[in-house]
Parts: sequence; structure tokens; C-alpha cells
Amino acid sequence: MENILEVKNLTVKLNGKTILEDINFSVKKGETLAIVGPNGGGKTTLLKTILGFIEPTKGYVRLLGLPPKQAVKTGKVGYLPQKNNVPKKFPVSVLDVVLFGLVNSKLPKKKQIEKALEYLDYVGMLEFKDYPFSDLSGGQQQRVSIARVLVAEPEIIFLDEPSTGIDMVAQESFYEFLKHLKETKGLTIVMVTHDVGVVAKFVDKIAGLNRYLHFYGHPKDFFKKEILEKLYGSEIELIVHAEECVACEHFKFKIGDKKC
Amino acid sequence: MLDILQIPFIQNAIVGGLLIAVLLSVLSLFINIKNWSFINVGISHATFGGLALGVYLGISPIYLGILFAVSTGLLIGYISKKGDIHEDISIGILFSISMALGVIFLTLTPNYTSDLFSFLFGNILTITREDIYLLAGFSLFTYSFLAIFFRKILFCCYNEEVAYTAGINTDFYYYSLITIIAIATVLAVKLVGVILASAMIILPAATASQIFWHYKKIIISSIILSILVVLVGIFVSYQYDLPSGATTVFIYGILFFFALFVKKLKKGR
Repeated sequence: MENILEVKNLTVKLNGKTILEDINFSVKKGETLAIVGPNGGGKTTLLKTILGFIEPTKGYVRLLGLPPKQAVKTGKVGYLPQKNNVPKKFPVSVLDVVLFGLVNSKLPKKKQIEKALEYLDYVGMLEFKDYPFSDLSGGQQQRVSIARVLVAEPEIIFLDEPSTGIDMVAQESFYEFLKHLKETKGLTIVMVTHDVGVVAKFVDKIAGLNRYLHFYGHPKDFFKKEILEKLYGSEIELIVHAEECVACEHFKFKIGDKKC
Repeated sequence: MLDILQIPFIQNAIVGGLLIAVLLSVLSLFINIKNWSFINVGISHATFGGLALGVYLGISPIYLGILFAVSTGLLIGYISKKGDIHEDISIGILFSISMALGVIFLTLTPNYTSDLFSFLFGNILTITREDIYLLAGFSLFTYSFLAIFFRKILFCCYNEEVAYTAGINTDFYYYSLITIIAIATVLAVKLVGVILASAMIILPAATASQIFWHYKKIIISSIILSILVVLVGIFVSYQYDLPSGATTVFIYGILFFFALFVKKLKKGR
């Protein structure tokens, strides 16, 4: 399978401080990757460098085989930021937001609206099409934003902390939904998240990042004491979802006394 | 009342006043959704330096006013984007320097007799045919630009990072919008002066958005509101010998608080 994203010897310094150092990994078409790590570990910086918002100090990023700034111009890259990045009381309807996804489309206006409505239906938000976007709940806004990303028919999508502001049950259904997307549309998904316990069962790969890439591989190999200690330090308490758990039953995994 | 419509300078005032009011009410939407009120206050005040330099050098003040306003707008926009200095600080510094220069230039101008008061507070009755041609030409350019790129500009205002990842040249739209707003603000100076020009571009959409939530309704109601306010402003200022700019802005202010009251009333139901 071809690499859709390649990060090679990447080092990023911001205001003289090294945020990322010698990062190497690649993502194949159709894979789902979660970038996890402690706050301040460089997750969002990595995402912003991959998308071309930040220039690497050393190394390079190839997205769809291109430098990031050229890759985004192909219209094949989707991005879902944290929910509160949209100005409060922004005067657009739910349908307008999805239509933003077709801003470069050559389709006639009528066809664009039909397509936008189709995707609103897909995310279960069709009945809200004429509502003010800013009046929706966090979870509903997230669904509409997903429709906005998908309507452009991207090859790869990037999600920054997609579960912020969504309750536990909604988070589970959101990740189930992403899994469904991957399976039905063959999308490549890269997300930055702190919910490592939740996402582990929905992704193909995990990247454990804290300045360095301490882990890159299958989720089942991630939950090991030495890896978690390297990533989060020795005094951590991680809440992991058990296989049988769907939303509310979870158990504790303590590094200190190896109890799980 | 119809008698006053026969007077040539009143005709110029009405045509010029309406052209600028409609232009500013359309741009008002972007000022409100981008929270650029203070940026606009900075731009309008910075215009004073250019206008005064024009008087000092004996060049048409409006063109140097535009040069100062656009430069200040782009500089504030750049600083705001980079985030190294707080936006409010940079605005405060830039417009103070420009106003200080304005006072120095006017003081240095030999035999300066023009009315400083009309620079600061405007006089709609001094609008000339040339001003009207300039306004009409610039309005036509702005409406064409917005008609072609409206959705992309709105998308950039919605979320610049998301718009960038959709392949939009966000810097081009950001700086174009600031430039257009800066020029429109200078053109409003004749109407209301540098002190009140920003009010003309902040208040229309701020008032309309108390009643309506969708951008299309906000734009349409802002235009209607501005036309009414300017017409009433000109009539009242002429009839009662009041300053036209201050009268117009005061009427806007009353309508804003009325709209706020209507909104509270609606919510209370």
C-alpha cells in the first residue's frame, strides 16, 4: 500500500525551544492513526506542521506525495479543528457550513445543495439544515463539521481533539462513526487526541509523542509500562476501557503497582 | 422638506451619503463577525495623519488619507496575524502616532485656514461631484469583488485554518478585505469625520444582528437601516442646523439600543 503521509527526520523549534525532535513515521492509505501524548508534548505542533501551518526546522513532510502547502491546494485534505475555533454567533446556517466544503466545486449551485443535504443526512443532521450553526450542541456541531469535511470527498482527514466538549457516550458513538467512515469510504484518518484509552480500539496505529516519537505501532503494543512511563512519566494513572466496555464500565491501570 | 432637495450641495450630500452608507453597511458584516471594531477605530483615526499631510504638501488629502489608512490597516492585520505584540497595543500605538503626525503637519502648514473640525467630525454638505465619482467607482469594485469571492471570504472568517486546508489563499482574502475596509473608512470621513467613521461601519450589522441571525438578512437589513438613517440624518441636521456626522451616528446609536431592547423583549417571551 502506498504512503499517503510521510514524516521524515522532522524537527520543529518554536521561539528557540525544541518542540519536536527527529520524528519519523508514515501512514498508508486507508489507515487510522491516533497521535497521543501528554499536554505540551507537541501533538498539535505536529498536526500543524503536517498541514503546513508551521515550517519544519529540519526534515520534511510529504502529504499525498507533496509538500503540505501544495497538498492542501489539491482539495483532497480535510481538517476538523477543535470545536471552539469558530467565532461565537457566526451568522450561518448548518447547510451553509456544509456548503463551505464545496467552496472550490465546479458543480452548479443546485447540485451543491443536493450534495450537502445528502451528507447532512449521512451524519444524521438533515433535520437541522436551516438551524443557526452556533445554536447546536458541541456534538451536533462536530457532526456538521464532519459533513463539511466529507462533502469535499477528501482522501485524508485530520482531526484535532475531536472529542472535546462531547460526553463519554457521544465520544464512543463518534469514534464508531469514524470507524464506519474508514470502512465504507476508505478514508485515511489522522487524529490528535488525549483519549488514548477510548481511541485504542478504533485505530490501526498509535503514535506516542512527547517531543520524541516514543512509540509508533499497533494499539495492543502501546499499553506497556516502559512505553507509558517514557511518554507520560512514572506517576501516571491511566483509565483504559476494557474490551467488553462500551461507554461506562472501565477499569484502572496503574503503572506504579502494575495493577490492572 | 422637498425644497431642500433642489439645492445642489444637498443633492450631492444625499447621493454621496447613500453611496457610502450602503458600502459601509455591506462591509459592516465582516467587521462584526471578525470582531474588527477596534481595528477599524485604529484605521479611521490613522487617516488623520494622511489627510493633514495632504494639506501640508498641497496634495489632495483623500489620497494620502487612503495611503495612511491602508498602510495602518495592513500593519495592524499583519501584527494581529503574527501575534507577537497584542493587537490592541499595536492599534493604540499606530493610530496615536498617525494622529500626532496629523496635528504636527497641520500646525506646520502656513496660513492653514481649513476647518480642522470638519476633518475630525465630517461635514456631509462638503461632498463634491468628484467625491461621488470616486465613491461610485470604489463601490462598484467592492461589490464585484464580494460577488465573486463572497463564499470564500465568509469561509475564511468562519475559520481561517480550515479554509486554508481547503486550498483557499486565506492571506489574499484577509489582506484584501482589510484594504477594502480601510479605503471605505477614508471615504466615510467626509460624511462623519475620522472620529466617527468607524461607527458607520460597526453599527449597521451590530444593530441588524440583534434581530436577525443569518448573514443574508443581516446584510439586507443593514442596507435598509443605513439608507434610512442617512436620509433622516441629513434632513435633521439641515433642518435644525446640527452637525451631520454626529446626528447620523447618534441616530444609529439610538436604533442599536432599540434593537437590543427588541431582542431582550423577544427572549423574555
